[in-house]
Amino acid sequence: MSAQAAPVLNARGLSKVYGNLVALADADFAVRPGEVRALIGSNGAGKSTLVKILTGAIVPTGGRVEIGGEPVPLGDPLGMIRRGVACIYQHSNLAPAMSVLDNIFLGRQPTGRFGIVDTRRQRREAAALLARHGIEIALDAPVGTLPTVKQKEVEILKALALDARVILMDEPTAWLASADVARLHATIRALRQRGVAIVYISHVLDEIFAVCDTVTIMRDGRVVAESQLAETDRAQVVQLMVGETLARETVAAARQQRRPRGTGEIRLRVRDLGRRGVFGGVSFDLHAGEILCLTGLIGSKRTELVRCIFGSDRFDAGTIEIDGRAVSPRSPVEGIASGIGFVPEDRHREGLMLDMTVTDNLVMATLDRHRRGPLLSLAGMARAGRRAIDDLSVRPPGGGTAVKLLSGGNQQKVLVGKWLALGPRILILDEPTVGVDIGAKAEIYAILRREREKGAAILMVSSDLEEVMTVADRIGVMVSGRLSAVHDAGSVGMDEIVREIGGGTP
Amino acid sequence: MTIRFASAALVLFFAATIAFFSVSAPRFATASTVENLMSSFSFVAILAMGQAFPLLVRGIDLSIGAIVGLVGMVVFDLSLIFQVPGWIILPAALLVGTAAGALNGALVVCLRLQPFIATLATLAAYRGLTYAVSGRQLVPGLTTTPIRDPWIVGIETYLDVGRWTGLSTFVNMPWLPLSFVIMLGVFVVLQAALSSTRFGRDVYATGGNHEAARLAGIPIGTVTVCAYSISGFCAAIAALIMVARFTTATEALGTGMELSSIAAAVIGGVSLAGGVGAMFGPAVGAFLLGTILIGLTLQGVPQFVQQIITGAILLAAVGYDRLLWLRRERRPAAGAGPA
Amino acid sequence: MTAPADRRGTVRARPAPMRHLAPNALPVAMAVAVAVFALLEPAFLSIDNLVGIARQVAIVGIMAVCMTFVIMTGGVDLSVGPVLALAGLAAFFALDGGHPLPVVLLAGLAVGAAVGLANGLTVAVLQLPPIIVTLAMLSIARGTALIVGGPEQHLIRNEPAYSFIGTGSVLGLPFSVYVFAAVAGLMILVQRRTPLGLLVAAIGDNERAAYLSGHRIRITKTVVYVICGTGAALAGIIQSSQVHTALATYGPFGTELDVIAAVVLGGTSIMGGNGSVARTVLGVFFLGILNNGMNILNVPIDIQLIAKGAIIVVALSVAARRA
Repeated sequence: MSAQAAPVLNARGLSKVYGNLVALADADFAVRPGEVRALIGSNGAGKSTLVKILTGAIVPTGGRVEIGGEPVPLGDPLGMIRRGVACIYQHSNLAPAMSVLDNIFLGRQPTGRFGIVDTRRQRREAAALLARHGIEIALDAPVGTLPTVKQKEVEILKALALDARVILMDEPTAWLASADVARLHATIRALRQRGVAIVYISHVLDEIFAVCDTVTIMRDGRVVAESQLAETDRAQVVQLMVGETLARETVAAARQQRRPRGTGEIRLRVRDLGRRGVFGGVSFDLHAGEILCLTGLIGSKRTELVRCIFGSDRFDAGTIEIDGRAVSPRSPVEGIASGIGFVPEDRHREGLMLDMTVTDNLVMATLDRHRRGPLLSLAGMARAGRRAIDDLSVRPPGGGTAVKLLSGGNQQKVLVGKWLALGPRILILDEPTVGVDIGAKAEIYAILRREREKGAAILMVSSDLEEVMTVADRIGVMVSGRLSAVHDAGSVGMDEIVREIGGGTP
Repeated sequence: MTIRFASAALVLFFAATIAFFSVSAPRFATASTVENLMSSFSFVAILAMGQAFPLLVRGIDLSIGAIVGLVGMVVFDLSLIFQVPGWIILPAALLVGTAAGALNGALVVCLRLQPFIATLATLAAYRGLTYAVSGRQLVPGLTTTPIRDPWIVGIETYLDVGRWTGLSTFVNMPWLPLSFVIMLGVFVVLQAALSSTRFGRDVYATGGNHEAARLAGIPIGTVTVCAYSISGFCAAIAALIMVARFTTATEALGTGMELSSIAAAVIGGVSLAGGVGAMFGPAVGAFLLGTILIGLTLQGVPQFVQQIITGAILLAAVGYDRLLWLRRERRPAAGAGPA
Repeated sequence: MTAPADRRGTVRARPAPMRHLAPNALPVAMAVAVAVFALLEPAFLSIDNLVGIARQVAIVGIMAVCMTFVIMTGGVDLSVGPVLALAGLAAFFALDGGHPLPVVLLAGLAVGAAVGLANGLTVAVLQLPPIIVTLAMLSIARGTALIVGGPEQHLIRNEPAYSFIGTGSVLGLPFSVYVFAAVAGLMILVQRRTPLGLLVAAIGDNERAAYLSGHRIRITKTVVYVICGTGAALAGIIQSSQVHTALATYGPFGTELDVIAAVVLGGTSIMGGNGSVARTVLGVFFLGILNNGMNILNVPIDIQLIAKGAIIVVALSVAARRA
């Protein structure tokens, strides 16, 4: 790694504001040639916004970017690629029916006369590329038939073939087995030798400490720290990610309201729950009248776990008991019938009907209640809507507003309200306050506490430790698909949680 | 290049169909049947291959039949009203068809209309244009005048391949329709373009992953317009073949052919979702449909039942495709994540 | 087909905002058209002519309001043409067999519902693409119609009750118009006030979220195809009653495209999503006004076809711009 060479990518003062939500504020980010910089931060930390600006997918509200010392126009994906900034995304950027060879040279196959592809030259260049980076892959296989591992390698090869100067890798090892991770890291080291700069976006601290030189930590839309990895350790990194120790008042207030194990009645009992290749051996109890927060890094498979409990995914090992009865929900219909409400992580993709009204969304899960014969009681629906809007302080308070016009926080309240209308005995929420402003966050916490008083059993997935420490009665930590421990919120310190999340021994 | 040529299943099914009818239908396995198949379905194969291109870029061309009608009428007018010599008419016809296709592409790319809607609109517009320029209306006396221009009529020739190769001394050889040779020519050129040129790669990329193609710098707008232009071009060729056969053109020429072209292409393995398919499949699909129709006719099965069977085969083809896809999705990716 | 992560793992950005005509664009366009035609040919506004428009649009109108739900769920039904013919034939044979009118009607409607059920199950359960499924069904249904009815015309004679459906008048308006109004009213009611209507909109908006909210998507999707088929059957009964004939080749190719055009002009996107039966009715009348106006002005058929195409293009690209 070159010590003081000028940065090849230099972003200064980047900010992005969506309405009243500040996604990114005054962020600086730079990488030098041959540097491997980790970029980490929880959901909503501003990471993906920063990456989108750097790849040209969105235009920032403020700030500038220089590549190789020259300022570049922003918001032009093709332009960024041409200037040597490549990104390997989590979703596939390949044409699945085309061969590996064609994908590597997508849009740039070397041609001879009449535009006929010079396959021999293509193969030669590809073989050289493979040899240089020690990757083995069948050049003629259709990319869609390859396992995800190999598809990621093709994406990397594609970026390498473009002679990128900066390669951003967004969760590159999300689906890789350990042996493949080692190979990927070897590739990264080889790239580093050749002076390529790499931005490694990941949550797997082991990997970050293994292969990266430096780290940039983001939280709440800001860059909160930069460091050489050699000068820090896991605990410090996680602490920077999830926040300073809480203000004392919040801690005290939180402590007063904690009710570990709620009323003592076990509502949900999970034993050895597993889904092959995803998570395994998960066992815990959830009591009526308590809030159990499942925390951990992204990639710890908490969403996958709770989906299996609800029924939108299937599990293949272990048991679930609700109120003492064994259940195995195979669809949301069955999950709801068992008394479970599920607020999904992505409210836009899986939660709300954005073009429909607030009222329509609020009653979407409880339509049966408003049937009068073959018809719906519109008056009844409007009444239920008004009640919920009042209850949850949805603003603006009109049932007829299209949900897409609401702020993120209010949209989330509508989504939660939809499930609360069911009066669920078990309420599962997956990252309920991502992209939600502070005020709405507090309101949502109050709503959850109220439901808890009414006797609901609440299971909440959250990566925001501050939130967890505020709201949880008990805290479960998941690491790489295993539930490592469940603590009473009152009797565990944040440091310990932080350590567990990072994968250290509890 | 491992773009799926045509599934083995299709070819096997085709062979099985031929075998079945050879045994069960009288007079099926004869030279005249083969000749009939080639002369009656070569243009369907050409239309199917043309339709494949919009399908490959995740679109559709509902107006292909209307373009056939339009080109046919243009040929009629140029030949009988304006007495234009045939060697000018041929390229003019191709030009008209290609331009009509290009307009489809422009509507999809520049106005960002859904392909279904854009080609639905041009279906009406081109048919209307056909009526508007119809020589049959303008000069009523021409309705019974056959086209005699040798360049055009010459398309409807039969080549005595048997005599050339000397094979006819051993077996009764069918005469080879020129339209079949044209179809082969179209097949060779289009398949070569698809599998050997950068354009072909770009077509697959645009249909296979639109966003990835865009980020790779592929000019997806141009590629799309070209795809629709090819469809129009093939429609023009088909029109020439039909006009040559009937020595005239009517306003209704080509009606309903969009359906057969789509059916043949889908049976031939071209995916509606784009990015999958080649030229061999649609051509085989067209001749498969033709074989079944001819075979059933020889068996005395009424035409109405044939329609039902055609529909059933289309369903089976697409159902089989879906089955394959499901099986592929269910296979767990090797080396999946932790735990 | 509003798609969540599509099957190949490519995460698609949420589909572009629904392509709507701005709410007032269509009525304004209709008013303009009426004004233009009335100016050019005052006879356009005569009661006779206006009633004629209503009668002309009744058949396509019934099919269009019943197909709206299908299109809202991101599907399409290309098989409505042959269903027209099949229903007419079914009614004819029932009449021939001496059955009372209710049975006759039931026979016709049942045929449409059966085709719709086949379409719906194949699309919803087997998850095959609607274009191809209904395209295949078009072939199958047409073949069946030809087998059942043969190529000859079947005259419907001495059936005053049946003939009234297509040719009778009540208070000066054709009975078929009342039927159209009733069906349209029923569909609007279903859309606005039944769970089905809400669900169809929800599926069109976000099918994944509707699934996660505990709704039975497959049943809903099947039902909308049954409705579409039944509507086509009703239209077929009216048509055969109007011309006193049942013929296996009624509902020729192009019928389904007229229906789809009406729905799409009404503002429902062909890709699925927000839509409105009421606006489909407007779309139907818009096309009807254009057709009638152009006929009255003796605009030749070719220009009419070109105009129809141009209008669809203009209307929808304007819509695309506004989105």
